[in-house]
Amino acid sequence: MNKSRFLSWLYGETDVMEDILELDETSDESREQLKREKRRLRRELLRSGRAKKVIGAETKGFYALYHVVAVVSCIMLIGVLLFAVANLPRYGEENPETTEMVARYVEKGVEETGADNIVAGMILDYRAFDTLGESHVLFTALICVTILLRLDRKNMRKTYEDYYAIRGERFHDISREAIMRNVAAVLVPCIFVFGIYVLLNGQNGPGGGFSGGAVMGAAMIIFSAAFGFDKADRVFSKRLGAWVTFAALSFYSAAKGYVFFTGANHLENHIPKGTPGAILSGGLILPLDIAVGMVVAFTMYGFYNLFMRGK
Amino acid sequence: MVLTLTEILKILLLVLLVVCAVSVNLTKSLLQAVIIFLSYSSVMCILWVLMESPDLAITEAAVGAGISGTLFLLTLRRLRAVDDIEEGGEDGK
Amino acid sequence: MMEWIQFIATAVCLLAGVFAFAVAVIGVARFEFVLNRLHAAGVGDTLGIFLIVLGCVIAAGFSLDALKLVLLIFFMWFTSPVSTHYVAQVEYFTNRQLEKYVRFIGEAENGSDTDGDS
Repeated sequence: MNKSRFLSWLYGETDVMEDILELDETSDESREQLKREKRRLRRELLRSGRAKKVIGAETKGFYALYHVVAVVSCIMLIGVLLFAVANLPRYGEENPETTEMVARYVEKGVEETGADNIVAGMILDYRAFDTLGESHVLFTALICVTILLRLDRKNMRKTYEDYYAIRGERFHDISREAIMRNVAAVLVPCIFVFGIYVLLNGQNGPGGGFSGGAVMGAAMIIFSAAFGFDKADRVFSKRLGAWVTFAALSFYSAAKGYVFFTGANHLENHIPKGTPGAILSGGLILPLDIAVGMVVAFTMYGFYNLFMRGK
Repeated sequence: MVLTLTEILKILLLVLLVVCAVSVNLTKSLLQAVIIFLSYSSVMCILWVLMESPDLAITEAAVGAGISGTLFLLTLRRLRAVDDIEEGGEDGK
Repeated sequence: MMEWIQFIATAVCLLAGVFAFAVAVIGVARFEFVLNRLHAAGVGDTLGIFLIVLGCVIAAGFSLDALKLVLLIFFMWFTSPVSTHYVAQVEYFTNRQLEKYVRFIGEAENGSDTDGDS
């Protein structure tokens, strides 16, 4: 019993927090009433100049102090930043203290990483931990948004109109219009192909995991906006996104762990570098690019999805 | 000191960048601030291309000018800020 | 001789494109109502882009760059009229004082509901 409940939670069918967390269950009518009340109060407050005067007299000193502190802190911040800028080395100037690493990257980058694009070699080979951290930051942000705007079974409504009805908004369905659908039918495949090109070409030219994933995420957003959520859910469901993100992050960690382990112990790692310039080159850069791109694409789409229909 | 055309373009874009950044702060309406911020991202994208880092330019165009704009506008709608602007305008007139 | 023809064609296209953009900017600055301004902005988005990219295509000659620029026209002509259309639609649905600025042909005499929504 316990195990099956755990499994059903894992697959996203039930929500453990469903009865624990208290959600505001305001109906549409009471929300309307609240809104009307708020508007009336504000109008009254604005109309009576006396209230303004009273509030102004009470908070005058505070506001003066506030303005002074704000201006002073802004000026101090600007001064510190300008001082830092003035002490920077000039653009393109040789400075052995700071460019030691850069010289190494430029001279031996292509040879050591097997990637033509030195930037990709840097962010996914020399400094791969940075990129791993960034991917996890995105993943954590998605988890936080999911917790804040979550859709459990109580709030889940099936059709597009209902998502608007939850928040009491006027509904205008863009997905039933021929213009948006036909344009999206032409554009979405093109954007997807461009995103995949940018993603796979990261080690040879400009591009890479983050930008390719963002382009693919934009394509998914356009698809969802043009064809409606029920069609988009059939292709990129929440569960698919969770599994793909999980698999990509695990693969990233495992692959980089292998490389760091063998590198630290002076062992040979059996990953071919390939010839620089070919599509299958750069050792681990291409698979890592694909992993990062998947994480970014599904995170962007998940943000849009939750912002659009979450409670 | 002779300025080439690219340098003049760079200087103009940098001035536009500063203008955008300041006017985001000075705008009262949230919707206008979001739109100005998107134009800031577009200008920054062109500047990245001029500074010969196309990787960053692609990312800035896709994330800064594309997706973050969508998310900002959705957030504004969720906060009902756009509605409030409309109502405030009616009340003011 | 050939280069001179290419140069003159490029210059004419670019100048015409700059003129179209100038018209668009002046229109956006001077018109008062949203739909009029959208019309002016749409001129710049389609005609201006087309003329300037056409000038670039002529300057690039017969190469891969020219193909990429033609694709640019294709995508711009696909996306920007759609976005203009939807901005205009949002204005149509949300502006409650639309009758002040717009005369509805055919519906004005009947006095029917011009809001279209609700």
